[in-house]
Amino acid sequence: MTTSGISRRGALRMLGIGALGAAGAGVLGACAPSGAGSPSNGGDPKSKNFDFTSWSLNEEAAKPSIEKIIAAWEKAQKSTIRAVSYPYNEYLSQLTLKLGGGETTGAVHLDIAWLAAMAQMGRLADLGPVAGKGGYTDVALKSGTYDGTQYGLPWNTGSIGVIANAHLLEKAGIQKHPTTVEEFEAALRELKGLGGGVVPYAAATKVAQLKDIFPWMQTFGCKLLDGGKVTIGDDASVDAVTWYKKLHDDKLIAADVDRFDARALFGQGKAAFYDDAIIGKGVTSAQSKDKTLADAMQPMERPVLKAGDTPQALLWGGVIAIVKGKGQDAATEFALHTTTDRATTSEYFAARALPPSTTAGLAAPEVAKDTFTTEWTRKITRTATGSPFWQFAQNAQIEEAVAKQVQAVLVGKSKPKDAMKQAGEEAAALIKR
Amino acid sequence: MSTAAPPQKAPPPRERSGGRLSDGAFALLLTAPGLALFAAIIFYPLLSALFTGFFRQDLRLPGREFVGLDNFTHWLDGDFLAILEQTLIFTVGATLVPFVIGFALALALNTGLKGSGFLRGLFLFPWVIPGVVVSFLWMWIFNANYGVLNGVLMEAGIIDESVAWLGRPGTAMLAVIVTKAWASFPWMMVMLLAGLQTVPKELHEAASMDGAGSVRRFFAVTWPQVRGVASIVLLLEFIWNFQHFDTIYVLTGGGPAGTTETFATAVYQTAFKGFDIGRATALGGLWMLLLLLLVAVYLRITERKGDA
Repeated sequence: MTTSGISRRGALRMLGIGALGAAGAGVLGACAPSGAGSPSNGGDPKSKNFDFTSWSLNEEAAKPSIEKIIAAWEKAQKSTIRAVSYPYNEYLSQLTLKLGGGETTGAVHLDIAWLAAMAQMGRLADLGPVAGKGGYTDVALKSGTYDGTQYGLPWNTGSIGVIANAHLLEKAGIQKHPTTVEEFEAALRELKGLGGGVVPYAAATKVAQLKDIFPWMQTFGCKLLDGGKVTIGDDASVDAVTWYKKLHDDKLIAADVDRFDARALFGQGKAAFYDDAIIGKGVTSAQSKDKTLADAMQPMERPVLKAGDTPQALLWGGVIAIVKGKGQDAATEFALHTTTDRATTSEYFAARALPPSTTAGLAAPEVAKDTFTTEWTRKITRTATGSPFWQFAQNAQIEEAVAKQVQAVLVGKSKPKDAMKQAGEEAAALIKR
Repeated sequence: MSTAAPPQKAPPPRERSGGRLSDGAFALLLTAPGLALFAAIIFYPLLSALFTGFFRQDLRLPGREFVGLDNFTHWLDGDFLAILEQTLIFTVGATLVPFVIGFALALALNTGLKGSGFLRGLFLFPWVIPGVVVSFLWMWIFNANYGVLNGVLMEAGIIDESVAWLGRPGTAMLAVIVTKAWASFPWMMVMLLAGLQTVPKELHEAASMDGAGSVRRFFAVTWPQVRGVASIVLLLEFIWNFQHFDTIYVLTGGGPAGTTETFATAVYQTAFKGFDIGRATALGGLWMLLLLLLVAVYLRITERKGDA
């Protein structure tokens, strides 16, 4: 008689082999190439039902107003929109994988910084024929263009700038916004003197948002990219990072901060300045227990190196792009409606304080009379420019490479000069790839 | 006269006849679906991915270019040793810390103290929480600006200002190891407790009668009896930690400045943040070679135990 069964030794061996199998599958299987390159993600372009992918659907403050837009469309068109969302910091990776794998269809909310990378995948529809109907401002329309083709209908156009907390400035005896880097640093030291765990400037120090260093580099005179040559590593960029490190070491900025942490600190009344898009007012004040905070939030021109310099700011905005394939036509109509319909954009502005992208929308009384928005436009958006790296599909990797080097300086692992030289070389290599 | 009956012949071995399958063929038939599945979902992607390591390929774009060993030399000439060192620090720390805690608790529970059943259930609690949830919980505990740990330490007067536990090279790795240890010790405790319960009480009684104290009994009786289980638990945990991803990714993402970057996070970041699938699979291949060594050690140990 023979007996069969798994001995303890056999079971343990299998467990070991299972570990290896899982490693193999996890380590390498997940990296196995998928069939990229198909021009369409399939399905019936005439379908009334489609997906709408947006990071904002993952954010507490934004979700209800977008769901309202979706519900109104579904009711009017008797169709179904499947809402899809990923957190902002994971959005680009997730969307790239899903779009490349043919899983994303319909309308897609994109940060204007990602448009080039997405457009180069060859799956986005040309929206040129419909963009002309929208009445968009020229700046907004341009933000949805890559390589001469209109890939996105602009939803919101603004900039990323510095927001100040008037309550804390007053407490520290600061009468007016600092206009130069020197004045700014002095103001931060005054604010640090308040004690009570106040972080004078909740600047980004985590890799996810350390791209905020770019406007400071520009403030110190670095062009980032000059005639196709990466200039990160020049004296200006080194000076900027040296200054940032000084703020860090003197605890005028805090370690381990990204946009979400900065909003939380500002919302708690523990930060006097932080960098955010114009959307910041709505998001931060909504999550704050201090109901007077919204009124205390002030847009501030980014301090300049010397009087007379142009304040630096980064353009910011969102567009809605359309994936070729299932529901393409209906999704295009939805995008046009969402970004241009007067009542829809006004209601969206009221809910989120996000200025619309159309001439008519901007001229609407509720937008025109909003002091924060008009001040923001005058002080920040007026001089804002797009990043020169946006034109490259590797923009996100370039930003991350620079961010990692800046972080290495902040934690004392690298010297500013060495780190910026390395960052410049990595950025140049990425552009060539 | 009587004649001896001829010895009875043993029944002939079962042979395949009349549509009956031999044991070997039957075993093959049973394993065929599993093997087919293995080939389809593990073996093919594995080979395909290993092959991709020799190409420059962007996850977003069609086409690829053969680059020979470039992707491998990129790592070997660059960050490979740093990543290996950090992976080993994490792996050793996240294996030994929960082992010590788990063993101590297993010894305590094995004494039959009152309420040990309840305590065993309580200690298992961290193990049943999903890893990502555990990581998020600890992320809030370690948060530099509004974390619980800083609050408690400041309240107790131990620190004057908040510490960026996850934002400083030394403390970030420590925080990651603590988090993983918290999630792992229950499993090790249960395995070691099971091992302890197989130690015959008579051995302890005999040792006591010979005048051995508790420390002596631990080293002379307990440890030799559970050493086998302990070595398997340690090795398995080591292999799993060598591949571990979620705790590190959620807590630090490999930062600050790459000081908690392990093979798992580096491969993920390269493939799904950098979209450089060629370099990611090259690093994955190198990582797998190291894992193969570990698994070979594991198999050797279990083999030796079986032979003993």
